[in-house]
Amino acid sequence: MKKLLASFLAAATVISMTGCSSNSGEGKPYAGQELHLYNWGEYMGENLISDFEDLTGATVVVDYFDSNEAMYIRVANGEPYDILVPSDYMIERLLQEDLLQPLDKSKLNCMDLLVEGVKGLPYDPNNDYSVPYFWGTVGIVYDKTKVSEEDLQREGFNIFLDTKYKGDIYLYDSERDSFMMALKALGYSMNTSDPNELNEAYEWLLQCVETMDPEIVTDEIIDNMAQGRKALGLVYSGDATYIMSENENMGYFIPESGTNLWSDAMVIPKNAANPDLAHEFINYVSSYDGAMDNSSFVGYTSANQQVMDELANGDFAGINAYLPRTGNPNDEVFKYDEETRKTISDLFSRVKIAASNA
Amino acid sequence: MKKFSQLAWPYLIWVILMILLPMLLILFYAFTNSGNGIINFSFTLEHFIKFFTDQDFLLVLWRSLEIAIKTTIICVLLGYPIGYFIARSSDKMRNFWVLVITLPMWINMLVRTYAWIGILSDGGIAQSFLGLFGLGDTELLYTEGSVLLGMVYNFLPFMILQINTALCKMDKSLLEASHDLGANRFQTFWRVTFPLSLSGVVSGITLVFLPAVSSFFIPKLLGGGSYFLIGNVIENQFITVGEWNFGSAISMIMAVIMMVCMYAIRKIDERNAGRGKEKA
Repeated sequence: MKKLLASFLAAATVISMTGCSSNSGEGKPYAGQELHLYNWGEYMGENLISDFEDLTGATVVVDYFDSNEAMYIRVANGEPYDILVPSDYMIERLLQEDLLQPLDKSKLNCMDLLVEGVKGLPYDPNNDYSVPYFWGTVGIVYDKTKVSEEDLQREGFNIFLDTKYKGDIYLYDSERDSFMMALKALGYSMNTSDPNELNEAYEWLLQCVETMDPEIVTDEIIDNMAQGRKALGLVYSGDATYIMSENENMGYFIPESGTNLWSDAMVIPKNAANPDLAHEFINYVSSYDGAMDNSSFVGYTSANQQVMDELANGDFAGINAYLPRTGNPNDEVFKYDEETRKTISDLFSRVKIAASNA
Repeated sequence: MKKFSQLAWPYLIWVILMILLPMLLILFYAFTNSGNGIINFSFTLEHFIKFFTDQDFLLVLWRSLEIAIKTTIICVLLGYPIGYFIARSSDKMRNFWVLVITLPMWINMLVRTYAWIGILSDGGIAQSFLGLFGLGDTELLYTEGSVLLGMVYNFLPFMILQINTALCKMDKSLLEASHDLGANRFQTFWRVTFPLSLSGVVSGITLVFLPAVSSFFIPKLLGGGSYFLIGNVIENQFITVGEWNFGSAISMIMAVIMMVCMYAIRKIDERNAGRGKEKA
């Protein structure tokens, strides 16, 4: 979900990928038109853009973001994009602030191809505004040679407080995911707005940074865990898929106490200049070809049913992180609540201040 | 003369639009609490009280000052000999060295700092090198040391160039006079060269200390998520928390601290210049 390394550099940079054949695009339906796409860094298949350009004759201009919040600021300030790929809770926020336009379903031919479990989620119950892109869970990636399955089963997320693994853990530098972990470890809902529960979660995280000497990182965790540098880390399932395909000693575990079932989806902002082309892009990304390119390259779980099934039994066979867990009543979808978000942000910055002192 | 003053208009407009107006907006945000709106607002000191009564924030402020001071001291200690060496070399060599010092500055700071991540990261070049001496397990990235290194690396050229300029401007005949009057090399340096180069050191300090205090991307990249300085707190307030008012208030506090520092540095400089004149 977050791809800091590449995208920080690119955050303010417009990388224009011009299709080689777009000038010979006479007769193609969108020849000469431009699509402005705002997506996560390292979140697309190698050929996705060029193939789409060949198909439509359009030119795609891509900007990258490294956090939903950074994306939000630009979109809220009126930057005109045709397509965004925010996460669930951010879509909820954009909807609340009336920044998205409804999709024209007559122009979409992809809805039947998608996995049922990732359609109709609470933030957009009828998919009137969004079409899922990738989805997954958040869990613990662990080195099977250093961490016993038993400890994981018994402790769940509390393994991040087990001093046996002191100095051997990565935390993910994201307030939402950190608080999700703490709240789930304590047995609460990750969408709680109860100040006492939030405070307990804060204490939990404080204890973690004060006693466990963790490294708080973002995407460095991917390469570092793939090389087995530490025993435990909190990761997105898609990154775990990559880590496990690189290093067979790595495992992925989701505690029974529940986790965050997340999804990133394509939406069209209100001020989009070319909504028709945007619909076309959504269709292409959701089609077998586009989705296969994306998911096989990036490792995140495809929202396209056929692609997900094929990869789960093919390229990513035996990697439990690729298929998101379904059916655990403790798993939740993140909800957006302005007040809680502020509280969590403030508390998490204090956790980081405490980490600097530890 | 009249024509000339008319030429200044574009600059004045530029200053108003790009410097004054943003400063006034920050000032406005710092003393109000209307969310992000301009229409409904009420004045308040709440954000300042919040900052100064919060141990966490004060601690971060202190840590930021501390690391900026360390950076400045290291920059002076490293920058002075280098600046001195460059100033003493021949004209041709001096141009060459100045080019060498400024060359890295042609590359964006952010990119250069990213390069350090690669060098310092686990299993990177630096660690492999230490491995030759059996120190391969030393954690280099995400420590105070790595942040300090990043700061010194990024700001050192400013110090060197300032000191070098001050030394170059110095009248060389003063050195000859000093020698003629029987001073040895050390005495000449200490009684003549050093006092005359102080203005360069002082402006170097300004150019290093001020950006070091408020730097946020160096600690963010080289300190990881676990090294939080005041610049990061401000960034965090704006980007993730969304409290523009509180963020502005912290920015104001920083601005005041910097102005005080600059004032103090200028006073030292003036006193120093005054003393120089007396002697002359």
